[in-house]
Amino acid sequence: MFPPISLEILVLALGFILLLAESFSNSTNKRGLAHIAIFCLGWIFAISFFTASAPATLAPGSYWNFYSGDGVSLVFKRIALLTTIAVLVLALDYESTLAKLLPSAHKGAGTGEFYILPLFTCTGLMLMASAVDLVMAFAALELVTISFYVLVAYARRSHASLEAGVKYLILGALSTGFIVYGITWIFGLTGETHFTKVAEKLAHLRGDDTAILFAFLLVLVGLGFKVAAVPFQSWVPDVYEGAPTPVTAFLSVGSKAASFLLFLRVLEPFLGVESILPKVLQVLAIVAGATLIFGNLAALPQNSLKRLLAYSSIGHAGYLLTAIACIGAGGSLLLGVGTTVGYYLFAYMLMTLLAFAVLTLVSVNSKGEEIQHFNGLSKRSPFLAFAMVVAMSSLAGVPLTAGFYGKFLVFAQIIQAHQWGLLALGVITVGAGFYYYFRVVAAMYWHDPLETTPITVAPLSKITISLLIASIFYFGINPNPVLSALRTSAPSVAAAAH
Amino acid sequence: MSPILFWLFTALMLAFGTSVVLNRDPVASALSLVASFLCLSALFVGLDAFFIGVIQILVYAGAVMVLFLFIIMLLDLKAEQRRQFNRLSLAGGGAVAVGFMFELLHVLNSFSIGKNPFPPLGVARLDDVRQVGITLFTQFNLPFQTVGVLVLVASVGVIVLSRRELK
Repeated sequence: MFPPISLEILVLALGFILLLAESFSNSTNKRGLAHIAIFCLGWIFAISFFTASAPATLAPGSYWNFYSGDGVSLVFKRIALLTTIAVLVLALDYESTLAKLLPSAHKGAGTGEFYILPLFTCTGLMLMASAVDLVMAFAALELVTISFYVLVAYARRSHASLEAGVKYLILGALSTGFIVYGITWIFGLTGETHFTKVAEKLAHLRGDDTAILFAFLLVLVGLGFKVAAVPFQSWVPDVYEGAPTPVTAFLSVGSKAASFLLFLRVLEPFLGVESILPKVLQVLAIVAGATLIFGNLAALPQNSLKRLLAYSSIGHAGYLLTAIACIGAGGSLLLGVGTTVGYYLFAYMLMTLLAFAVLTLVSVNSKGEEIQHFNGLSKRSPFLAFAMVVAMSSLAGVPLTAGFYGKFLVFAQIIQAHQWGLLALGVITVGAGFYYYFRVVAAMYWHDPLETTPITVAPLSKITISLLIASIFYFGINPNPVLSALRTSAPSVAAAAH
Repeated sequence: MSPILFWLFTALMLAFGTSVVLNRDPVASALSLVASFLCLSALFVGLDAFFIGVIQILVYAGAVMVLFLFIIMLLDLKAEQRRQFNRLSLAGGGAVAVGFMFELLHVLNSFSIGKNPFPPLGVARLDDVRQVGITLFTQFNLPFQTVGVLVLVASVGVIVLSRRELK
């Protein structure tokens, strides 16, 4: 059995080796780098099934004060690894578009780092999933965010990409400011940064409810930016639309998944403070409701599929926040909510990556990302059209898909908590979701194509897309493998705090 | 630290900070930022945190801001045009800022620890360089190494994004 941190070390080593290989080799073909990275990440993913789970310790001066290798973090690490693999496959498809948007000396020049930087992002995402200390969480979060600043602005000759990069940089820095300020308040109140110790100290603080609530709100604002919760979502549509498509997929899946796990871990100490619990849950319910309404209603009139997926990403953040807001009194249900959130994010990863894989191929071939570019896709490539139908059905929540079971878990959570207002909102927004997701399906099957050239799909992309389709059905019918992986070990913080 | 010095340096720091935002000449803005950092380091020194105070001057005021000034002068940036702000967004931004200030005042008012003066530190002179080093390299080693990777990613990113012609 390997220790859990071996995954991060391996990905990091892979990144260093490829970075050196890229700078010292004379080869002008950078595609090999991506192939090596995909191959090695596949092996690292396999190794993740042979890692021993090791919860964080509280020994003074130990490495493992910062790092928890519990079962939930392992699932999120697998999500990060799979996302990175898929993003690299998408990046290979996207190469022809990206090469035009770079000031390159010769063909394909400058694309090397586009395949290598995601590896460092992946390391950051995995460290974030394991962080059980505010300092560690912040360092990992910044590693992720800074590599995303570069990736979003990567297509330098595209104004949209540069604009997206600057917007993301400024708003990301603002949200970082909120998180750091929140951390200083938490540290000021408790004198600790480890989540377990923070939980202990917070539970015994008396008479400082306002200050605790303030610290919670600051962290909520900061992490709300990262997970695209309303009212901190204003950057999402522009950044998602301007960024290179593979990066958009990475942002909407990888960054969101790791941020949600971190959010759960940060939230937990605050749930132990009984005097502010009703207020915390109320704030969460309001944010969740607003996110649900805004994400789903703003997606309705969108004509660009990339923008539509951006709003849908906000909408899905809404469902996840709704599940979190229904934690119930005492916070004892966190394990249940952790499972719901983990499964939902896993399903969200499958369907969103599938949608972005098709979007990348269509946009490279049709020079556009509007829904009209999908017109008549069933005639140009029945395979891609079918893949998109599966992705859209799963995003909308059609039964037998992974997306349905994720929504089912969320609604079960809402009913358990008797949150009837959120339930009504959830039902209405799911209905809205059916409308805008199936507009894409209608365009593909019932509209005449703008152009008739068939789209050829590279073998690697074909395998990836087929695997994603198969997993959406498999985990929609049999979700148990993911659920049991999430349930095997309680988050160490929960075990220690209660 | 004498309260007079504290208020003096705080006021100066805030005044220079405001002038960073209000100045339209980028050189003046950058110099105001240097002055603001100097006052901040004076506050650190007043708290007996000599190491952080010195680092503040060496790294921020010395290295980073001088680099900023070089870039500003190399690019020969001119004073910005006064921009027309949308009234609604101006009002919205102002409302958020004022709201946040009142919230902060309310929180500080009801914050029991905040009302008591901070107890004096036991040792007047800490060997702070050694303490910072030990904390960083032993206790906080894992986050420290993560930050190392972060710096690598940032420097790769800067080269990728700024190189005139990619090879």
